[in-house]
Amino acid sequence: MLVRMIFLKKDLIEIWGDLVSQKDLLLSLSVSSLCTLGAYFFAPKNTTSQLFFGLGGAVVGFIIITLLITPKRHVKTTATPPDTTHQEEQK
Amino acid sequence: MTLSLIFSMIIASLAAILLYTLIGFVPGTDETSVLMPVTLALVLAGTPPMVVLAFFMAAIVTLNLMNAIPTALVGLPGGVMSTPMIEHALFLKEKGLAATSIKKMATGSLLGTLVAVPTSLLLGNLLAPLAENIKSYSAWLFILGAIFLALIGKNKILALLSMVPLALLFQGLRSVYWDLGVVPQEKNITISFFLGITIGPLIISLLQLLNKKMNQDRPRYAIREVVVSTVSEKENLFHPLQTLTKKEGLHALVASLIANFLFVLSPVGLTILLGEASSKQAKEPIERAELAVTTMSALSHATYLSGVIIPLIALGIPLSPVAVGPANALFNAPPVFTLEHNLHHILTTQQFVVAILIGTVLASIVTYYIAMRYAAKITVFVLQKIPHEAILGIFVAFILLLAVMDGGLLNIFGVLLVGIVCGTLNQLGVNYGVQFMILYAAPELLKLLVF
Repeated sequence: MLVRMIFLKKDLIEIWGDLVSQKDLLLSLSVSSLCTLGAYFFAPKNTTSQLFFGLGGAVVGFIIITLLITPKRHVKTTATPPDTTHQEEQK
Repeated sequence: MTLSLIFSMIIASLAAILLYTLIGFVPGTDETSVLMPVTLALVLAGTPPMVVLAFFMAAIVTLNLMNAIPTALVGLPGGVMSTPMIEHALFLKEKGLAATSIKKMATGSLLGTLVAVPTSLLLGNLLAPLAENIKSYSAWLFILGAIFLALIGKNKILALLSMVPLALLFQGLRSVYWDLGVVPQEKNITISFFLGITIGPLIISLLQLLNKKMNQDRPRYAIREVVVSTVSEKENLFHPLQTLTKKEGLHALVASLIANFLFVLSPVGLTILLGEASSKQAKEPIERAELAVTTMSALSHATYLSGVIIPLIALGIPLSPVAVGPANALFNAPPVFTLEHNLHHILTTQQFVVAILIGTVLASIVTYYIAMRYAAKITVFVLQKIPHEAILGIFVAFILLLAVMDGGLLNIFGVLLVGIVCGTLNQLGVNYGVQFMILYAAPELLKLLVF
């Protein structure tokens, strides 16, 4: 359902070479930052475990976001036929 | 060197291959921001130096080849290093030759590694005796390095003009932190400023979204269709030598060899320069594109490997764009490594050779196999499952984390400031290399100007 909504609307912007929705981007930035810094402040007070907790938090945030947000790409596969025309996606 | 150490190096290399295979397929990931934080984490965790080195070597070999694959299959560059080959890879894809293009890239990467490892080990050791004298002038080398990179950049005048202001920015922040007691007097904040520079362009484009007018002016897109050319996997595991013509092999070897001697230049720049030069040797368009992807794939490996290995062995200070960028944590990761005490000082030549060989050989073999067998499958998986938002999120999270670790909450804003300034300069044509060099040269550069 979510996918269809995105299909209809033309509201994606390009950042760093790929398309994002601003709302999803905001969600992603907040969740990633909260998970990372949360884990960091939760860690025992020495540099190494702080770093590892932080990186762990970043990974957890990444997984949450990956599950929550649909990628803005419609992937189609073609079995390399010879000589397709030049109508592929842009860039 | 015990058996368990060798075992750890093998495990670390395999871990690097796994991690960076996945990351490599993600379009648009910047090498520095995916390599540096993880390497830094390993160093700070007290991982034995040889294990860190093997990990890093496996990581760059893996990342360089995996970055090239989405370029061949989709036409999206997997990373900065694969942007030079995009035009040629797209052309081959349109001709229905994506599979050929991957084979040539994979073999090219083998050749690049094969040439770069022994050559740069040799060059490093030859330069080492000279380096002892040079090193006492290291600040000067960074200043000269910055001037040199400024002069070969896109915006030469602004790059030169921005050197002192940038030095003021870095030293200014450091002094404020010292005054406020946020960091101890002997600590020179580098890592988080460094990442601030890397993330600068991204920060600028994110901040532009906050400006209503600029946001509305941005072009809008509907969801995009990405066409992945799948490759039949059955007959696909070729003997490396069967995938290239003699000419392609020769060009890849010679270009990689030349790249080793130019290790102080930017790897992307070198790949474009030497890659395009050698592709001109072919007349027919398909032949030319095939020659280009082969040579460029070899070059991306050769430039990266020599850019790390030579400064590590000869100098111990990060005096190449690769060393000062993605490999920075091997030179400077206080409190474990400093410019006076890092891999260069800790490891013997023999230890260097063993760690480098374990990392590069393992990664070459495994990634060759993955590229030949699973390229299309992994590309489809990554494009379907991993949203670009998540990638941007984890980058920003990394930066926040390292900023806080380096200088407390206040430093988040310091890094934001560095990002804004450096990102703006970057948009105006001052490349990363100049900014990185100034970060190291800042204290000495400012002392020169006090009368």
